[in-house]
Amino acid sequence: MDGVFLQSGTPTGTANATANASAGGPIATLPETISGALGLSGTLGDVVGGLLGAFLVANIMLGMTALAGPWAKRKITAAFTDRIAVNRIGPFGLLIIVADAVRLLSKELIVPEGVDRPAWDLAPIILPFSALLGFAVIPLGSGLQLADPETGIVFAFAAASIASLSLVMAGYASNNKYSLLGALRSIAQNLAYEIPLVVTAASVIIFAGTFQTSEIVAAQTETLVSLGGVSIPSWYAFVNPFAFVLFVAANLAEIGRNPFDIPEAPTEIVAGYQTEYSSVYFVLFYLGEFIHIFLGGALIAVLFLGGPAGPVLPGFVWMVIKMWAFFLFTQWARSAVPRVRIDQLIEMGWKGMLVLSFANLVLTAILVGVIA
Amino acid sequence: MSLEESTPDTVDRGVTTAEEIEALLGDLVLDRDDHLNAPGFVVRPDQVQDTLFRLRDEAGFDHLSCVTAQEYEDRYESIYHLKKYDDPTDEVSVVVPTPTDDPVSESAEPVYRTAEWHEREAYDLVGIDYDDHPDLRRILLPETWQGHPLSRDYDQDRPQVVPLREHANPLQEDHEGDEGDTMFLNIGPHHPATHGVLHLKTVLDGEQVVDVESDIGYLHRCEEQICQQGTYRYQIMPYPDRWDYISAGLLNEWAYARVAEDLADIEVPEYAQVIRTMGAELCRIAAHMLAVGTFALDVYGDFTAIFMYAVRDREKVQNILEELTGQRLMFNYFRLGGVVWDLPEPREDFFEMIRDFLDDLPEALEEYHDMISANEILQVRTVDTGVLPPEVAKSYGATGPVARGSGVDYDLRRDDPYGYYDELDWNVAVEDGCDNYSRLLVRLREVEESAKIIEQCVDLLEDWPEDERTIQSNVPRTIRPDDDTEIYRAVEGAKGELGIYVRADGTEKPARFKIRSPCFSNLQTLPEMSNGEYIPDLIASLGSLDIVLGEVDR
Repeated sequence: MDGVFLQSGTPTGTANATANASAGGPIATLPETISGALGLSGTLGDVVGGLLGAFLVANIMLGMTALAGPWAKRKITAAFTDRIAVNRIGPFGLLIIVADAVRLLSKELIVPEGVDRPAWDLAPIILPFSALLGFAVIPLGSGLQLADPETGIVFAFAAASIASLSLVMAGYASNNKYSLLGALRSIAQNLAYEIPLVVTAASVIIFAGTFQTSEIVAAQTETLVSLGGVSIPSWYAFVNPFAFVLFVAANLAEIGRNPFDIPEAPTEIVAGYQTEYSSVYFVLFYLGEFIHIFLGGALIAVLFLGGPAGPVLPGFVWMVIKMWAFFLFTQWARSAVPRVRIDQLIEMGWKGMLVLSFANLVLTAILVGVIA
Repeated sequence: MSLEESTPDTVDRGVTTAEEIEALLGDLVLDRDDHLNAPGFVVRPDQVQDTLFRLRDEAGFDHLSCVTAQEYEDRYESIYHLKKYDDPTDEVSVVVPTPTDDPVSESAEPVYRTAEWHEREAYDLVGIDYDDHPDLRRILLPETWQGHPLSRDYDQDRPQVVPLREHANPLQEDHEGDEGDTMFLNIGPHHPATHGVLHLKTVLDGEQVVDVESDIGYLHRCEEQICQQGTYRYQIMPYPDRWDYISAGLLNEWAYARVAEDLADIEVPEYAQVIRTMGAELCRIAAHMLAVGTFALDVYGDFTAIFMYAVRDREKVQNILEELTGQRLMFNYFRLGGVVWDLPEPREDFFEMIRDFLDDLPEALEEYHDMISANEILQVRTVDTGVLPPEVAKSYGATGPVARGSGVDYDLRRDDPYGYYDELDWNVAVEDGCDNYSRLLVRLREVEESAKIIEQCVDLLEDWPEDERTIQSNVPRTIRPDDDTEIYRAVEGAKGELGIYVRADGTEKPARFKIRSPCFSNLQTLPEMSNGEYIPDLIASLGSLDIVLGEVDR
């Protein structure tokens, strides 16, 4: 279980630093709440609050991943393919999570000959770390937000992009041609899709007029239209559905899910960058991928679906529902959509989505300018 | 359905009779060595190409179905079994004897591309050298193997040492300067998409395939020799199930049944023919379901609904086959002169089971079309990739859905009728797109056609008078065909033309049993389809070929 502790600990320091930078923001962040409740102040309060807050958030995410990876993914795929899936251990087969964790972690960690050691070992740690780092600025609702810097959304994208580094390290250090192909594919794919992704997000930022995640969420609480007494909030998915669709598609490519799971492409290049990884390292990759799916879902929720906003239920529950909805969507795509070819993917990215996202950005800018 | 329609008598059929061929070949012919299925002409080892060129270009024999090699006491012999794609009942055998002490014969590769692998196999297993062959290496056995297992002086007890060497990039020397390096990649024998133990030696330029070579033989189980050691009557029939084991068992059994029945002149009762036809088409559906499912898996890339749906429908077919034969995979249901037992009782329940399946099938196929053939991403992936032009397909001896996907209208069930096919109403599915998508469509359409055949068979069987249900004709306990009778017969297997050559030597076991595997010939076309394309298309093309390594390697 070393790996798990390692990652839940790693983002703490950074998250803490960002929490410091944003002290005095409009909404009390989780570390501030914790230090306030413990009656600590000054640097000690920041450190303790930051550590405990980050520990809590990281564990929530890892818990969700544990549910998603060994259990929900199987159940969802089974539902799509007319099967039953895990149902032997525990209620609804839930204890398979424990069984699988033990099974995977007790496997032999095979280190192939000729791997580039520090890079090969670091890669599986960086992947989940980068995704968890992104959660530092995501408002999870119900006061669960580690930091709220003015550049919040930019930080989230920057942290998520570190994932590419991990994939390249894994692919390059593995001393395996399939891994190398996977790594090269992932770079090409990320280059092609990161730009449309960020540019589309920029159109939302133009609307909201801020990079701060809490402000972007707040901007979406206004009523867009009232239909028979039910007020529809001005979520950017409703305001600009085109940008929403673009963002979701680019996000699928960014996190490497079907139909854009090119870097792994099991039938073509075996498992891509993670071909040579086993045991704990494999678990870390697997965890990292799922946390990235959830981070992708969280970004969609924050930018387009009003963040944690929703009727009746508390904000955190709504946020979790929105993240899981995106997870469900990725699994749906996985069961139903064929994979595109690498050259087609690059072409779609550079010739299609890039153009569309810039058109969207310019149009939004003009629209916002005219209204203002 | 009709044989008459496809080959009307008014059409000029070119050179067909043995006399005409003999006149055409003139003094190339040394002697006649007729086989039961075709006239045979003995030619000199250094005039093979002359003979074959003349037969191909002037007599229209454009299909080198099979190359059989064997060793007699006093000589080696290569037999080229030629056919016409337009009418496979026009057959001719070219027999090339070579002396035991210097077994060198001219290669047929310049005439028919497919001869490359067939002659490599002949060299590997029997030990005949082919002059002018582009790449005469062992194909099924490891390169370092000593001796030729089907030759007479082969020492079975000799220890064999098989070292493992690193594979080298065959294009390494072609690089000019430091620019444009290529990468050698082993795809397989352990790879998720090779459908068994196939090894593709691939050279990549970036993501593009510049050279691919299939390395086969990992699943070589000496099937031919096993059959040479069994008696005709009972001991051979279980083995065909194990060639193409993707539940195409009855189709394979029919290949043996047909060749042995023609060899020993055994009649098959009409009732048994109907049951055989029905069972074989059920097997074809099961095999095509798996082909479509795994092809979708290769293109979709992940464990998808379509694979499970295909397997679900295949399960239904297997349930029916289990009721009929008692087995789900290795049926061993055919016997020489008929089938082993009658339909299961109560017959009504069995017919209802089949009808239920047939009733659900159109809806299931509609679902497949919705999910795969109508899917735009799949079309983008498969249309115009893995292109195999008809002339190339013919040159490589491609048959079955691979040939029909390239617009080659060739189906032995119609063109060389056997069983009950010519009494029934069905069509041959042909697509002329020549690409991966066409091959997929051909398989889906063939499932529909098979369903039509099965339905008609069920109708016939339901009304069959009880006292005329003869499942087997009277077959002698031991079958001893006359010495030195030779025959080559083929049936339309799930993958294409599955042929068997048998030479009898007057005993109750075959002296030579040669299997012409459709997958073996079809797999040869892979480099033609894939060179210059991307890795994902290579994988898709491989999936669309629908090979079974058990049949490729035998």
